[in-house]
Amino acid sequence: MSIESKVQKYKRILDVLPTPQEKYQYLIEQARTSKEFPEELRQDVFKVPGCQSQVWLVPEKKDDYLNFICDSDALIARGLVNMITDIYSGETPETIKDSEIDLMEEFDLGIILSPARRNGAFNMLKKIKDYAEGLL
Amino acid sequence: MINVKDIKKDFPIFKRQINNLPMTYLDSGATSQKPMQVLEAMNNVYTHSNANVHRGTYTLSAETTEAYEDVRNKCKEFINAPSSDEIIFTRGTTDGFNFLAQALTKNRVSPGDEIVLSEIEHHANIVPWQLVAKEYDLVIKYIDVDNNFELNIEDLSSKLNTKTKIVSITGESNISGTIPNIKEINTLVREKSDAIFIVDGAQLVPHRVVDVQNMGIDFITFSGHKMLGPTGIGVVWGKRELLDNLEPVAGGGDMIEEVFFDSAKWAPIPHKFEAGTPPYVEAIGLGAAIDYLNNLGMKNVEQHSDQLRDYGRDILEKIDNIKIIHSTAKLAGCTFSLYMDGVHATDLSVMLDTHGVAVRAGHHCVQPFHRKLDIDATFRATCYIYNEENDLDIFKNSLEKSLEVLL
Repeated sequence: MSIESKVQKYKRILDVLPTPQEKYQYLIEQARTSKEFPEELRQDVFKVPGCQSQVWLVPEKKDDYLNFICDSDALIARGLVNMITDIYSGETPETIKDSEIDLMEEFDLGIILSPARRNGAFNMLKKIKDYAEGLL
Repeated sequence: MINVKDIKKDFPIFKRQINNLPMTYLDSGATSQKPMQVLEAMNNVYTHSNANVHRGTYTLSAETTEAYEDVRNKCKEFINAPSSDEIIFTRGTTDGFNFLAQALTKNRVSPGDEIVLSEIEHHANIVPWQLVAKEYDLVIKYIDVDNNFELNIEDLSSKLNTKTKIVSITGESNISGTIPNIKEINTLVREKSDAIFIVDGAQLVPHRVVDVQNMGIDFITFSGHKMLGPTGIGVVWGKRELLDNLEPVAGGGDMIEEVFFDSAKWAPIPHKFEAGTPPYVEAIGLGAAIDYLNNLGMKNVEQHSDQLRDYGRDILEKIDNIKIIHSTAKLAGCTFSLYMDGVHATDLSVMLDTHGVAVRAGHHCVQPFHRKLDIDATFRATCYIYNEENDLDIFKNSLEKSLEVLL
């Protein structure tokens, strides 16, 4: 599934949920079902700066493709970083670097994300792109 | 008696809805909302009499100068200072502490001299002292806080000696509501040292009757924006004999008597410490805020805070598994910092926002104390004159609903 189609998948899910509460609950469910994060990767070098909670984002290169594993000590942030890493996982570094989708705009998350949290989500995205660029 | 329904009519912001719900604002510890009277006073300056203060010989400047200087007098009366000359305008409490830290150490300390603070101080009453401690090789000591978040007076006593040059503690804690017994501490400080005693009034002055002469302290600093006034204006009050002997730490216009190419003579207090164009519009806004509070009566404001605090104590302790950082002493502010094992404070504050409840999550600029308790973050509810018991009910109910989702 391409980045674009994964974005559309999440957009459809979030659009159906009418209230911010339900959108957050969805992110919380995503967080609860996320994969366990390997403790040895809980290192400062993998931390996403500028988040209100602690967020870790680790790249894994497999053949020509990049995957990401992630975690946060807060549920909503973990749900958000899971969703964002899912969108970009399984793509080549080049595709990730060239992707110009405005996630915040697409998800209409602006209504539920405070400016500080938007900044956190922006930094998650930047870390993903930095990893991709570093591998080119 | 405070009539919250009437008060709320003066605050345009309470017409707002958050997520289609009435706004429950419980973050006055960070900043208060502003009544129309304050907004109008400031608007009035810009629309009718705006001109820079001091030395203008024309009508507008004279009017603005008079209004600005009148606020000094209002501040003096509000905290019962002996003279309005001792009221120094700053940008806020943080600016006040930076001024005090610089001015009280410049040419006045020797390496090894000591500064005594408490463990529950706001960063504004820690970091400025750390800066000068590094510069002059001073030692900072922190007074222990007990299990009820009260200052350990025996510990304070053991930390005071002839090397103590500054003692600076909160008048009302922004995390636990703790209100230390300032008079008792003042006596102790005088007995055991020649230190200058400073009170952080950021939370105390908005909520309680303050009488600096009765407290016996040397300095107090507070912010306008936490007491219905605008941001960018605050006050340092200090005893005249101390202020007269301090050197200015900022130079510029307005703070001088005479300037030569190679030197300058300072203006008398308070102007010696107020370089450049002051935030006179904000000061006039603060004056209107003081009028508003005086109109309500600070005794009533105090009583209202006590009532809400008692109500908050009653209902919040009934929430299962909640841990509360709040002094249960008879005298304490209406400030509750909460946490729950296994639930992140930011998740809770985000979920509370979906219920229209505004609380703050984080370390509230009291990070060393959070670290001591081994907690990353708490979420904090603070009340002011426009809050009522119903706000705390909404907070509790929304909290329980949010926990159902998060636990």
